[in-house]
This record gives sequence, structure tokens and C-alpha cells, in this order.
Amino acid sequence: MSETIATHDAGLTSAAPTERPPLEGIRVLDLSGALGNYCGKLFADLGADVILVEPIDGATSRCMEPKIAGRSDSEASLHFQYNNTNKRSIVMDLGRPEGAELFRLLARDAHLMIETERPGVMEARGLGYETLREVAPQLVMTSITPFGQNGPYAQWKAEDIVGMALGGMMSLAGYFDSPPMAAFGYQAFAAANLFGAVASMAAVYEAEASGAGQHVDVAMQECVVMGMENAVQFFDLEGSIRKRNAGQQREAGSGVFQCKDGYIYLMAGGVGENRFWGNTVQWLIDEGVDGVEALKDERWLNRDYLSTEEAKETFKRIFSGFALRCTKLDLYLHGQERRIPIAPIADTADILQNRQLQARGFFAHVSAQSVDGAVGAQSWVMPGAPYRLGATPWSLRRPAPRLGEHTDEILAELEVDEARRKALREQGIVR
Amino acid sequence: MKRLLKGIKVIDFTWIGAGSYTTKLLADLGADVIKIETSTRMDSLRVARPFKDRIRGVNRSGYFADRNTSKKSVTVNVKHEEGLKLVKKLIAHADLVTNNFTPGVMEKLGLGYDVLKQIKPDLVFASMSMQGMTGPERNYLGYGLIIGALTGFQHLTGLPQREPAGTGTNYPDHIPNPTHAAFAILAALRHKRRTGEGQCIDIAQTEPTLALLGPWIMNYTVNGVIDNRRGNSHPQMAPHGVYPCLGEDRWIAIAAADDAQWSALRQTLDLAEEARWSSMEGRLADRDALDRAIAECTRHRDAKALMEALQAAGVAAGMVNDARDVLRHDAQLAARGHWVELDHPEMGKSIYNAPPFRFSDAASTPSSAAPLLGQHTREICSEVLGLNDAEIDRLAACGALT
Repeated sequence: MSETIATHDAGLTSAAPTERPPLEGIRVLDLSGALGNYCGKLFADLGADVILVEPIDGATSRCMEPKIAGRSDSEASLHFQYNNTNKRSIVMDLGRPEGAELFRLLARDAHLMIETERPGVMEARGLGYETLREVAPQLVMTSITPFGQNGPYAQWKAEDIVGMALGGMMSLAGYFDSPPMAAFGYQAFAAANLFGAVASMAAVYEAEASGAGQHVDVAMQECVVMGMENAVQFFDLEGSIRKRNAGQQREAGSGVFQCKDGYIYLMAGGVGENRFWGNTVQWLIDEGVDGVEALKDERWLNRDYLSTEEAKETFKRIFSGFALRCTKLDLYLHGQERRIPIAPIADTADILQNRQLQARGFFAHVSAQSVDGAVGAQSWVMPGAPYRLGATPWSLRRPAPRLGEHTDEILAELEVDEARRKALREQGIVR
Repeated sequence: MKRLLKGIKVIDFTWIGAGSYTTKLLADLGADVIKIETSTRMDSLRVARPFKDRIRGVNRSGYFADRNTSKKSVTVNVKHEEGLKLVKKLIAHADLVTNNFTPGVMEKLGLGYDVLKQIKPDLVFASMSMQGMTGPERNYLGYGLIIGALTGFQHLTGLPQREPAGTGTNYPDHIPNPTHAAFAILAALRHKRRTGEGQCIDIAQTEPTLALLGPWIMNYTVNGVIDNRRGNSHPQMAPHGVYPCLGEDRWIAIAAADDAQWSALRQTLDLAEEARWSSMEGRLADRDALDRAIAECTRHRDAKALMEALQAAGVAAGMVNDARDVLRHDAQLAARGHWVELDHPEMGKSIYNAPPFRFSDAASTPSSAAPLLGQHTREICSEVLGLNDAEIDRLAACGALT
């Protein structure tokens, strides 16, 4: 499909070679799975040398859905492909002493390692922070786990949905009359990756100046709590517990509304002060919408009134009469031209056609990998730069690595000679 | 203990959600963040609920407070000639200037990157508008929920047969955007330290949010599949869901990743063994009946006790914590010291989030409560700009410091 999607490489892959990426010279060892791969990608895409250190069977994220249709090999996961761009892969068995020894050698020149094992596992391998600090005092070790390194839940198991539940975000999501809902796309994992990346970057920034690394302890549960918006403050200051409310307006004029070809999201008044309410009402007046006079009086500027069922019903009746005649794109373009916070509820096909993203050249191409690992003429389209750094652009230099693609290359960099590499391979310590 | 970003000076024009949260991350890590405000056009979070004692006031919002820890507040009217001069003097000492206005606003104020880099050539200038500084929709406006709609989160979260539910919050404001922005800023500051080169960072808040849906964007570009809402189900795991427990609106999330976890779950729930559920394929194929059977068992159990029993048996399970639970009852968050109580000049003691990470050799807990509007105006004028009391009084009288 990729050839039918308009994309635009300029500013993404065309970074002039003289421009130095902002994280040039930083080496990262990424031992992680889904809790840390995106953290590693953020470093890799800004120019760090990120080495994915995989177990003999490959990183667990190689098995994650969605996959390339009809394939189940170790390169088939689109989840893996997306989250591991620009990395190199070395496969080594850290559970064996020779593997751990090799890793300590790797760590000597590294600025950062990212690991997502259950607390205690790295220590048992002889790769705990206190041991690594001795061979690599500059190293920042970031441990991203479901609940953190200590506390009563430290050894508990968690999938994304458990992080969403115990982190409280889930209590705010879902319909008023349904069970709570997890946000789509492993957002508890995402939160852990993202806060892990900020903490890691801050620690590396300081370690480059001071020469002293440290251990960074990131807990997915706490990262999810950061997504609770104002709910905890509502409880602390007003004693009320915010509930999920999908399937109804949050207040009159704010929520999901059906239109001719789908849905739009409208926040007629904005947040805090009711700044945009007048714009919304004027729009409906100009469109000659039936019954709009009912929205004009003073009551509508009072947020307490907007929270009443009467206000919600009145607004919905009047607005829906108009919205059902219009497409989501028309409502978006015309509403925004009048400075009203409104947007289409887009699916992934809509997103690929979004003219703003196209104009900005947001989508990036990467060479696709076929089953046998050959990099073919075909290319994949994926989200590109999440930020534009004017002087030091983000760039996609290579696709995610094949399992063990760089084992030999990296061992050679460590000055492990060919005979020794062969022996390690035969013993199953590297692959 | 040291703070990692000590010495970094930030002049901060951000407001409302994602912008303020970005600079909070930097401030809690030790950066010196001066929030530039004006009482003529206030950060709308200052007047957003909840308020201390339910009394509305510009220094009483808990929402604002939590997003603005460890910062200083200066009121300056940059539309006043002398106000603009003052701000430019502050920027001449700064490493970073941040804003999340729609594109063009900083330029209109006379504070665009092209002007500021003349004052401070190695400045990092970070702009976080909703849709970026370029493109036909650059002037469009919105909040996190609008970004959630544009980027697919609203569409993808919820039940397939009902209207899109979304994440229930302005999710992009709280996690995707502030973290991506802080990461990009730190990378640019690192580059500046190494090379002496500053730069402008253009962040369209839609783009970091979309970056979190990469695999499903690729499911469309590679496979032609347009993903839809799927409730709490998982394509590779069953059971995987949220089940009712004893009490009003109490729920537990349970996920069994393999046969061993399924067996432990079945035994903990006293659920009869069924041959059709013995393999993951079988459980995935019969997901709805499986969920109903589990719900019949869980609805008679206490969520917390069941969570503990399941975890003891090696099953991934967690009760759905609400706002009271995370603050008052969750043993892990308490043990981690996630909540900190800070004393605010007007609100008194209230609860704040600590950043969700800990450093072995650095402090990261917020160093002070949110500032009052203009709390540090005189202090900054005197200590940073070297103005005497008479000059400050004159500037205040002429309206430059409102």
C-alpha cells in the first residue's frame, strides 16, 4: 500500500551529512522488551549508537502483534520493527557467566543501559548496578519495571492492562455504564518508556559532565498515575471521586457528536474560562441552525449550568441537527476557521490522509525486510520525527535489526578475535 | 543530594496542559524555571477546578498547582515596551525559552526565535503548538482531547459497537507530549553544551501522540488493516480483561499470558476445568464465554484480596484504583513515596505527584509548591536583573509588571 500514500521525505531522511545528530557519541545498551524499546528508539533516532542486547531466542517484543500479514518469523512483528529502528542487535546469553562477562566488557564504553527484568534478575547474573558501577563508573543504568525496584509489589507481575488499572488512569476511561477501559495501544508501557527516557536523558546529561553515572528506577504504575489529570487533586481538595463518562457529554458542548460520516470531538467552551462558547454559538447562528436562540442567553456562560442534564440535552439536540448534515472534515475545517476547538475522530486511514501531516512530511519511509532478511526495494511507511530540531534533525538511518545481525561486528569492536567469536557461537553464548 | 539539571535557566511562556507539564519535569529535576505570566491573560488552569476549599481564585487551583511545582512566577506585560525589554534581558541570561502558543504569537509579541537568537545565539527555543509551526492547519487550536481525536486515540479506545470512548482525559497533555518535549529539549541542551550551537525545536503536539501508535499506523500502511476499538481484549492473550468485584463500581484487571498463569487463575477462582480452554488458541476462540465465566467468579470477591491472591499465585492482576485508592490505599505508591505534601502560600498543604522515577544519586522530588501569580516578580527583578526598589516600583506603576 505504501506507494499509494503521499509522503514527503524532506526534512526527515534528507538531513545533510554535515549536520551532527544531537546524541552523537552516546552509546546505549538496550536489554529491554516492551517496557523499554521505545525509550531506546528515542535515543537511536537522535543519533545515539543503540545496541539491542537480545537473549538467544530474541527480544520478547519480536512476538508482539500486530505482525506482517501471513508471517510469524522473528522479523514479522510490526511492533518490534517500529520500536527498534536505528538500533544494532547482538544476541548473547546473559544467564551464563561468559555472557555476563562479555556484557561487562560492553558496558565499559557505554553511557546508558536500559533493562526491564524483574528486580533481582540482573544482580543474580552478576550485572546489578553495584557490580557494573565498578567496571563502568560513568554508566547510567535505567531499570524500567511494572512497580519499581522496591515496595510490596516489586515482584508482582503486570501486563499493560494491570498497569493501567493500578495506575488509576483506567478508572477515568470507559463509558459511564460499562467496565473501565484501557487506552488503546499499550499506553501503560508507553508511559514507562517515556518517563524512563526523560529520566535517562537527564542522568546521561549530568553524567557526561560529572563522570558519575547512577541507577535510575522507573515504575510503570507511577508513570500511569501521571495520566490521571486532575482526579487526585479533586479528591484531595474537594473530596470527590472523578468517574469515567464516555457515552455522554462531559458538559454541554464538550464530547463526541455524530456527524454524516462518523464522529467529531467538540469542546465548545474550551477549558477553564468559557473562552470559545461565543464562537460556537455564532457559527450555529450563521449556519441558520434550528433553535439556536436557546443557546444565546447568559446561563450558558456559567460552567455549573453547562454541567446540568438540561443544558447537555438542549445543546445536543440543536448541534446534532446541524452536525448530522455535515462531514467530519467539513465540521473540522469550518469550526477551526472560526477558532473553535473541534476535530474529526480519525482512524488510521484518515491519519494517513491528513493534509497537515502530509504537508509537514511527518511520515517516514524505511526499507522493508523480507522473510529471509534481505532488504528489498519495498519500503514501509511509519510515523516519523516526533519533534523537529532545527539544527540537529531526527533521522531514520536503518530499519530495526535482524536477530543477531550485528553480533560479529560488535564483538569485533570489543576486540574479540575471530577464533574466540567462533568458540562463543559454538558454545551458544552468542548467536 | 545533587539535582541533575541544576544551573539550566529556563524562561517559560508555557501554559495550560502539556507545556506547563514539560517545564515541571525540568524544574523538579533542578532547572531554574521562571514562568512568565500576565494577569491580563491568565493561564486558564489557574481558574480551573478543583479549588482549595472550593473557593475560586487564581492561586487556588489544584490542577494548576500540580503542573507548576518548583517554578517561579513573574508577571510581566510583554505588550508594554518596558515589559518586553525586561523579558529580553531575562532571555539574555537563559539557556532555554519554551512556549506552547499557536504559531505566530511569540513573533507578534516580538519574541520569535529569529529575534531571540540575536540576543542569545546559543539559545534553545522550544515551541509546542498543537499542529506545528508549518502547514495549512498550523493555526488550528485545541486541547489534549482534540489531539486525541485527531490522532486516533479517541477512535481506538472503547467498545466496537458503541461511540468512541477515548481515554477519558486529555491524555496527550499528560504523558506523550511533555515527555517527548522534555527529551528533545535535553538532547538540544546536550548539543549546545558540546558545540555551542542553539536551535529552534518545533513540536506539533499531534506528532508525539501519533508516534505512540506506530505499530497500528503500520498495520494500515503494511497490511491495509484499519484497526478498530477492541474493549479490553488482547489479540494474543485470553483471558485479558476487566472483571466486576464485590462493592459498587469495583473492578479487577486480569491477564493470563500463558497456560501456567491460566491454570493458577482457574484454581484461585475455583473455576472448573474445561478442555476447550486448555490452550491459548482455545481460550482466544472462546473469549466471550471465558470472560463471562470469570466475571461470575470475581463478582463475589473483594478486589484487593483477589488481586493479592492472584499475584501470590503468579497471575498478573490489579484492582482498578480510583483517585482515592491511588492516594490513600495503594500500598506500593505509599511505599514508593509517590505523593508529596507541599505547603503553598495560599492553599496551605496539599498533595502533589512526585516524578515517577528515582535516582540513586540525585534528588527529583519537587523542591517547592506552585508559585502564586507573580510571587517572584520583585525577587527576579532585583536578583537577576539587578534593579533597585525605586526602579521596580516605577515599572510596576507604569503597568509593565502586571
